[in-house]
Amino acid sequence: MSATTLTDRERAADSATRSRGSAAGQGHHGSHRDNEAHQGKRQRGAASQSGTRGQRRREAAWGYAFVAPAIVLFCVMGAYTLFFGLEVSFAQWNGLTPTWKWVGFKNYLDLLGGSPLYSPEVRQAALNTVIVMVVVPIATVCIAFPLAIILNQVKRLSGVFRSVYFIPYVTTGVAVYMAWKYVLEPDGAFNALLTMFGLGSLSQPQGWLGNPDTALGTLIVIMVWSAVPVAMLLYLTGLQSIDGAVLEAAKIDGAGWWRTNVSIIRPLLAGTTAIIVLLNVRDGLQGFQIFLLMTNGAPAGRTNVLGLEVYDLAFQKLLAPTLGLSSALGWLLFIAALVVAFINQKVTKER
Amino acid sequence: MKVNQGSLKKMTCGAIAAAALLAMSACSPGGSTGKDGSASDAAQGGSSLTMWTFKQSHVKPLQNAAEKFKEKTGVSVTVQAFTPDDAYVTKVQTSAQTGDLPDVMEVHSNGEDFTYGGSGLLTNLADKVDSSWSNSFLEAVRQDGVVNDAYYKQSLAEGSKTAGIQKGERWSVPFTIGTFGIVYANKAKLAAAGVTEAPKTWEAWMADLEKVKAASGTTGGVSIGFQSPTTGLEWAMQQMAFAQIGPDAYHGLFSNDASKNFASANGTKVLSTYAQIQPYWMPGTQSLTIDDADIAFAQGKAAYDIGGTFTLAFLAQNGMTMDDIITFPIPEPSDSVIKDRGLSPFGLTGLSLSASSKNQESALEWMKYLATEEVAAQFAKDAMDVPPVSLGDKPEDTVGPVLGAMIDVFGSDPKTDYNLGDTSYKPGAYDGTPVGNALMELTPLATADVAATGAKMAEIIDTFWSQS
Repeated sequence: MSATTLTDRERAADSATRSRGSAAGQGHHGSHRDNEAHQGKRQRGAASQSGTRGQRRREAAWGYAFVAPAIVLFCVMGAYTLFFGLEVSFAQWNGLTPTWKWVGFKNYLDLLGGSPLYSPEVRQAALNTVIVMVVVPIATVCIAFPLAIILNQVKRLSGVFRSVYFIPYVTTGVAVYMAWKYVLEPDGAFNALLTMFGLGSLSQPQGWLGNPDTALGTLIVIMVWSAVPVAMLLYLTGLQSIDGAVLEAAKIDGAGWWRTNVSIIRPLLAGTTAIIVLLNVRDGLQGFQIFLLMTNGAPAGRTNVLGLEVYDLAFQKLLAPTLGLSSALGWLLFIAALVVAFINQKVTKER
Repeated sequence: MKVNQGSLKKMTCGAIAAAALLAMSACSPGGSTGKDGSASDAAQGGSSLTMWTFKQSHVKPLQNAAEKFKEKTGVSVTVQAFTPDDAYVTKVQTSAQTGDLPDVMEVHSNGEDFTYGGSGLLTNLADKVDSSWSNSFLEAVRQDGVVNDAYYKQSLAEGSKTAGIQKGERWSVPFTIGTFGIVYANKAKLAAAGVTEAPKTWEAWMADLEKVKAASGTTGGVSIGFQSPTTGLEWAMQQMAFAQIGPDAYHGLFSNDASKNFASANGTKVLSTYAQIQPYWMPGTQSLTIDDADIAFAQGKAAYDIGGTFTLAFLAQNGMTMDDIITFPIPEPSDSVIKDRGLSPFGLTGLSLSASSKNQESALEWMKYLATEEVAAQFAKDAMDVPPVSLGDKPEDTVGPVLGAMIDVFGSDPKTDYNLGDTSYKPGAYDGTPVGNALMELTPLATADVAATGAKMAEIIDTFWSQS
């Protein structure tokens, strides 16, 4: 799409150049003196153009020289990895043997249902991933949007409030996930709090991550907790850019607080919402840090997701020749990510 | 202008392509070492060795041994630990690709050693370990690290981890031995419940668990690292099942015969007995790693901890003293076919020689030195681990009463003593993880009953048979 736009722009620029040249040519049909004068100018212009051309060439060379390290690095670390990964996805290999066994599309077929050993794991992981991809973006938007509206209207201590709500993002990482693990243990702070407030019946005797019915939901809550700050910040930025006159007009027309937010601000921030949703969908599809650190798929695979499955097949199968399966699953995820990116482009363009 | 830019583009692209090609050829799997390695000796490589281990508790004892080895031979040994086990495996995997393996590696016997050997990373020790060396090991583990018929057949299965090994090859020598299925009990918690000695039967243990839970509440349970789903299966259920229905019927559980497998009457019997432990698991144990479960026990969050002989050193590292602990093997039910079932020791870890080592002679000398009785006994004492050599009639004199008591339950009669290391009756492509996951649904998750669990386990094992 962008390539088409670029081509159109280039065509427009060429056309403008041609029409400017043509106009200049018509002007040169005046007197002979004028022609001579113009010829002299042309010669000087040609010399000058030649100098400019050389300068441009040098500039281009310098440009290429500057970007070359990045391109080489990408080719070695990026393109090479991509193609090597693609190659491995058609092989059975444990990462150690000097040679690997070519299996064609078997790895892909095994993952998509051909292997009674691997496809159930992948199915469970895919289901969990879809749940995460759907719930996390929706919950993030549902919390971040009203929070941003409220914070935008707070006049006193607004900086403090914004900082407080942004803390989860600043501190998110290994340490926070470990802290959450302790909080969610059977004798952790969360169960203790519930008991303290007379809600002991809601506490989880096996811990919130130990109960197969609550483990995935608990991780989703933590993911939302981590995602809300950035979403809130994006909404706040969007709110700042809304023309005050629009809101003023709505007020004059009799729109109340609720009506203004739902019917005016929400549609105006639809683009921001689309970006937030798609960022979180992408995270849900590819991210697995929280799952690896907090449960590693436990209990009994209830919190396994596709990203974690890729990692497990590559590094946690105790040297079984499953690197090819891991790579194939990685490529399937890549295709899914492409679909998400395509939808992203369509949605953001429409907005 | 266009021509020049094109030239520049071509030159840049050419340079990039060349760089990518160079990188690809440097990183291609063909860059690995040869299967038998290059013969080189101490004279070529100098007088220093590097050794890797995946056990932090082995580092200091190995360093102590290395100091004495240097005094004796002039060869220095640098010991490095990479933990936990899966990080170690990844370290070896990546170092193998870059040619940075150490001279000597501690490996899981009859497992990683075969995988690395079959992949060409190790030196075949078959003609290097002579009878005087191999006879220094206990008879029960003397052949650990050697590819026998059963291991060779398993290596031929589709997707086998040990593809490439050949019968008769030796890829490691025993370094530590032991067994799974050892229960550690907190002496103080047991005493508080009026329990003063180790249970003799499964039923007696369940009765003790009831008493201890009544006395200690949520801290009176059993901890085990269920984040690795094989723990419940391989550290508790199998030991109990072997005794309850006898060796032949036990082997049948892993067959593809519907009248003998986990969905059969025998399967129902052992699963029903195993499920009796359900009320007594430590809260939250289903999401803990093995280390976390041991730490929870050491912190007093559980009264019992199921592990292996190797667990003792970790508990000591986490502040427990031997006086705090009673140990006993997973007990057999009173209606068991086998009474007084023992646990066969098997090679837990071995020492392997890297094929890329430039100090092969020195490395072999170091490996041999560690197998001498005096050095092995001292290592066992320092590391609180069981060596593969004889510790005499009174092992407790060398390794202390707790580890000594564990050594006392060792036996090597295949008719009466359970041997986890014997996998000859399982399908070649067998992987315990999905089977363990299915068993977890019965207990501790309690989301499936005995019949459904047995059927699921049988279905998974049948899949392995179909691939073997």
